[in-house]
This record gives sequence, structure tokens and C-alpha cells, in this order.
Amino acid sequence: MRNLTRSQYHDLYYYLRLNRRVDEQLVNLYRQGKVVGGVYSSLGQEAISVGTAYALEPQDVISPLIRNVGAMMVRGFRPRDIFLQYMGRQDGPTGGRDANTHFGDLQRGVLAPISMLGETIPVMAGVALAGKMRGEKRVALAYVGDGATSTGPFHEGLNFAAVLKLPLLVIAENNGWAYSTPTEKQMAVPDIAERAPGYGIPAVRVDGNDVLRVYESTRAALERLRGGAGPVLLECKTMRMKGHAEHDDARYVPKEVFDKWRKKDPIVRFEKLLRDRRLMTVEEKTEIEGRIEREIREDVDFAESSLFPPPEGAARPVWESGAEGA
Amino acid sequence: MTTTRAARPPERTRGPDPARLERMLYYLKVTRESESRLERVLYRQGKIVGGVYTGRGQEAIGVGSAIQLARGDVVFPSHRDFSSFVIHGVSLREIFCNWMGRAEGPTRGRENTLHIGSLKLGIIPIISPLGDTLPVACGVGLALKQRGRGNVVLVHFGEGTTSRGDVHEAMNLAAVMKLPVVFICNNNAYAYSTPTEKQFAVRDLSARGPAYGMPGATVDGNDVLAVYAAAQKSIARARKGEGPSFLECKTFRMTGHSAHDAAEYVPAELFKRWEKKDPIPRLEKFLLSRRLIVAKRIRELERSIQQEINEAVAYAEASPLPEGRTAVEGVYCGEQCWWLKD
Repeated sequence: MRNLTRSQYHDLYYYLRLNRRVDEQLVNLYRQGKVVGGVYSSLGQEAISVGTAYALEPQDVISPLIRNVGAMMVRGFRPRDIFLQYMGRQDGPTGGRDANTHFGDLQRGVLAPISMLGETIPVMAGVALAGKMRGEKRVALAYVGDGATSTGPFHEGLNFAAVLKLPLLVIAENNGWAYSTPTEKQMAVPDIAERAPGYGIPAVRVDGNDVLRVYESTRAALERLRGGAGPVLLECKTMRMKGHAEHDDARYVPKEVFDKWRKKDPIVRFEKLLRDRRLMTVEEKTEIEGRIEREIREDVDFAESSLFPPPEGAARPVWESGAEGA
Repeated sequence: MTTTRAARPPERTRGPDPARLERMLYYLKVTRESESRLERVLYRQGKIVGGVYTGRGQEAIGVGSAIQLARGDVVFPSHRDFSSFVIHGVSLREIFCNWMGRAEGPTRGRENTLHIGSLKLGIIPIISPLGDTLPVACGVGLALKQRGRGNVVLVHFGEGTTSRGDVHEAMNLAAVMKLPVVFICNNNAYAYSTPTEKQFAVRDLSARGPAYGMPGATVDGNDVLAVYAAAQKSIARARKGEGPSFLECKTFRMTGHSAHDAAEYVPAELFKRWEKKDPIPRLEKFLLSRRLIVAKRIRELERSIQQEINEAVAYAEASPLPEGRTAVEGVYCGEQCWWLKD
């Protein structure tokens, strides 16, 4: 396990805070009626996106969920990409053709999210297989939620990857709720990790609100994967601190569950760790937060002044390969 | 032949009594002999419509489990569980008629093989994409649970099926809803030509049980008494409302996937090794050594089985093929919906 440098600790903090601030901005824009479609928040789950993606190498490929904006930014997307996309503007990654986080970039090793989340696993098993056949040290990292683990494709993809010993790392983000379904109605085992012995693969359980533990567990799993020993299931326990999306007030979630998890906020915890271990001074913290605020302001302004796509171009990148916006 | 199954007390922890042991030997043999007749005689004579899929070598799984069911229970046999049909009261005449596409078969010549069922007898016909069977079994299990009479579902499938998404969805659902379903995996080592090491990365599929929060057990599927004991436990659990279980019965497919498949991809020594584990001589040996049966009685059983089969085959051969004009009957459920009434 390599030790993180001081500036890497700062990176982690930067991405956590950036993730949170982008999220908050999206909610503002949504309430102002400027977002096309819904807003799916990653509030409370930022440590999973950041801790896992930060552990990767450039050649690796991820398939983010709608709540993995943080992972997408670690892989090189900027807040402006996210704002433009959410607001349906022509300078956005899909040129205003798709909403929210439904975009990717193979250069950055990011596959666009698949809404039927279970389907991600067979697709990423395919990515891992391609890497293996080409002899690349490439790992495919797939994010799924607790709800997705009950779908057939999750099973088929993971079994396939286990049989072929593919370098597939499955990050199971157990956030307690699949829309309004609590985990006890989702599965009859306490942890998603219990599934792993059924496939003959190892599982690791980690506190998903502890960015360092997430990062370290991912590093350890990646080592195994690059050694060719086959897939790993990494379960990150967390809590979805909002409704399924902004339109959902989540009144089906008991209030005390939110209260309990609010005390485990991953950013507050990491701030405390950095302070206790003297890894970040007040000045450094102020500088990082100031930088984030400037970026957010600039990028929101940029997105708001960007145009909507001209309707006559709507059909163009649907069929043409390499067309702009595709 | 027809059997009447009496409802038994919900819990039964004793092993099979001598009379039942003899019935088990009978069912093993009637299955083996009927399938041999189908595969090695009638099919080769061109008298079968379509292919022949047998459970040669796997007979102990159906026998050891289905024989324990009571009135109101439901079984989903796979195409390799001939015995389940016979145990549940489908006659050999009906079975041979169906294989030969006759008008008097349960599907009246509209379907072949063992694609037959009866709601009255509690047999759901085989669903060819076997994975789809399991969610259906969960639905039946849910209905039985809601009726609250302590009835259970037995569902058979192969190890190839376990790689399917529907299996995962069904087993998860059954565990969450504590459905009275016993999942019986007939692990016969080959899914058509795919060996188990290319099918899954676990040694025993029973590891899947705890992965869903249900008990999992692996037994010697060629030992009818071992299957019986394991199924007894799972059935009792389901009757008590404690939920599903997963039972892996390890066995070997002693033929090709079907009569048209020479199975050249299976190493010959595997057949030789499993020949020695044939479930029928094993039960015979057990019964003889415990003096639970005499050799003469076994010969009698064999003779009467041959007579039964001869009679059923003769009946089927003499039975007419369906008339063309009836082909559209029974497609939609109306006056002619015999399969719901039968």
C-alpha cells in the first residue's frame, strides 16, 4: 500500500468538496427551473466516488452511476461539463441530447451510465475481457447500487467474470434504499458482500463514508485484479441523504435514519482527520475551498450563457460516427 | 399406473419405511426402463415426434424428492425428471402417447416430450428456457403461502440454468418473501456441452444458498436416500413457513444432451466412473444387504414394469394421431380448455 502524499490528501479533499458543491449548485439550478429533467444527488455518498476513482490508473475504465459525479470529475470531467449537460446546452458532452450524468468519454476511461443499472455488470465484464485479451493491465470498475444487485444481469455478468477471471471490480454502493425499497426488502442477507462466495470471488466490506478506507480497499482490490486473480466485490455502506431525486421528498425514510447518518458525513469526517493529523492547515483549506467556489461560479456562468442546441442538428449525431456532440 | 397420494403430517423426520423404499426402487426402475424404451427403441424406430431427453443416471433426484410431496404440493420437473410425473400420477399411457404425438396424450398431440402438466396433479409443465421456471415457481409458492395450508413447491433445474439472471431474481425473491420453495439443482456436470468449470467458479453450487440468505446443501444425487434426507429437511422447513432452501444434487448425465447428441465432448472415463455410481444398483444393494427386499421380489418388480411399459407402448402405438381440423382447439382458453380441467 503506497502512502498518500500531503498533496494527495488535499486532492481527496478537493474532490469531495467539489462533488458536494456541484451537487448543491445543481439543486439550486433545478429549483430555478434551469435543469432539463431531474437531479440525482450524491449527497452523503461522495467518499465512494472519490475514494474509488482516485485509486485508479489512467488506463482503467469506470462505469459511473447517476450518483458518481465525483468519480467522473476525478477522471477529468469539469463542473462545467456537468452543468452544461444537466441544463441541456449545446456545449455539453452530449450537445444537449441527453440529460444529467448520461455521458462518457473513452479517452478518460468513462462509460456513459446505463439506466438499467444491472446491465452495467455484463458490459463492464466485456470491457475487462477486452483488456485481458489485449494483454493490457486495465481494470474495469463498475458501480452498482443495492437495488441493482437483485437484477438478473448483475448475476449473469458477475458469474461470467468469475469464470473467466476477469479484472472487474464491482463497487456495490449500499445506500440503504433503492428508490423507496429498503435493503431488508431487497435481499435476505445483511450485506451485499454475502453474494460473493456464491460466485467464488472475494468480497470486502467497507465504511463508504470513510474516504481513506474506501481508497485503501480499492487499492488493495486493484492489486489483486492486476495480478489476474479475477473479480472482487467491494461493498461500501452508505446512506442516500436525499430522495431518489430532487422531486422525491423521501418521506418513506424514517427521520432518525437521516439523523444517524448525518453524523457520519464523509466530508466532515475527512476534515477532522486532516485537522487531527495536521495534514491540512486552515490556510490550505481556505485556498482549496476558494478555488472550488471560483470554478463553480465560472462554470455555472459559462453553462448559463451557453446556447441550447439548434433543433436542425438534432438527428445528426444519432447515426453518423464521429459527428460533433457524439 | 395411478397413485393416490395421501396428505401426511407436516413434519416427518424419520427415513422412508420399507414399503416406501420398495416404491422408490419401483420408481427408479420404471423411469430407467421407460426412458430406455423411448431413447433406445422407439426413437430409433422413428416413432417419436421430436427429440428424446432423458434423465439416465439422474433418476434418484426426482424419486428421492417428489415421493415426499403431499396433496396440494406442486412440482416443476425438468426434462430429466421423468419420475416426478409418474410419482404424481401421470400414467405411462399418457406419457408414451405424448412422446408419440397421439391424440390421447395430455397435450393431444400438440406438444411432445415431457412438456405436460396438470393443475389437478400439481405438475407444472416444463418451461424450455429453464431459468424462467424459477420465477414461476416463486409465484406458485407465493400463492400457496397465501392460502396458508402448508403446501410447498419443488422446482428442478440444471446447473447450466443457475447462470441465468431469472434464477438469481427468483432465489432472491424467494428468500426475501420466505416462500415455501425447494430449489433443486440437478447438477449433471454438463449443460449441453459446457462442463461445470466453464459454468461457474465455485466448487459447490450450494454456496449460492447462503448468498441469498437460505440454507444450501450439496448431496450425492446418485444416492436416493441422501436426496431423500436432504429434501425431507428442506420440505419440512418450507412447510413450517421458514422459507426456501437450495439443494444441489451432484450427478452425471449418462447420455448426450438428447438422443441426437453423441456427447463426444465428454471424456469416456467420466462415463465409466459414473457408471459405477448408478443409483439403481446402489439402492438394490442397500435393500438386499438390510434384508428389506429379496432378490425374487426385485425380479417380480422388473417383470411387472416391463409389462406395464409394453402395455402402455402398445396402447400409444394403436392410438390415433390428432385430426388436423382440431389443431386450433385448446389454443385459447374457452369451452375447449381441457388442460385447465384435466
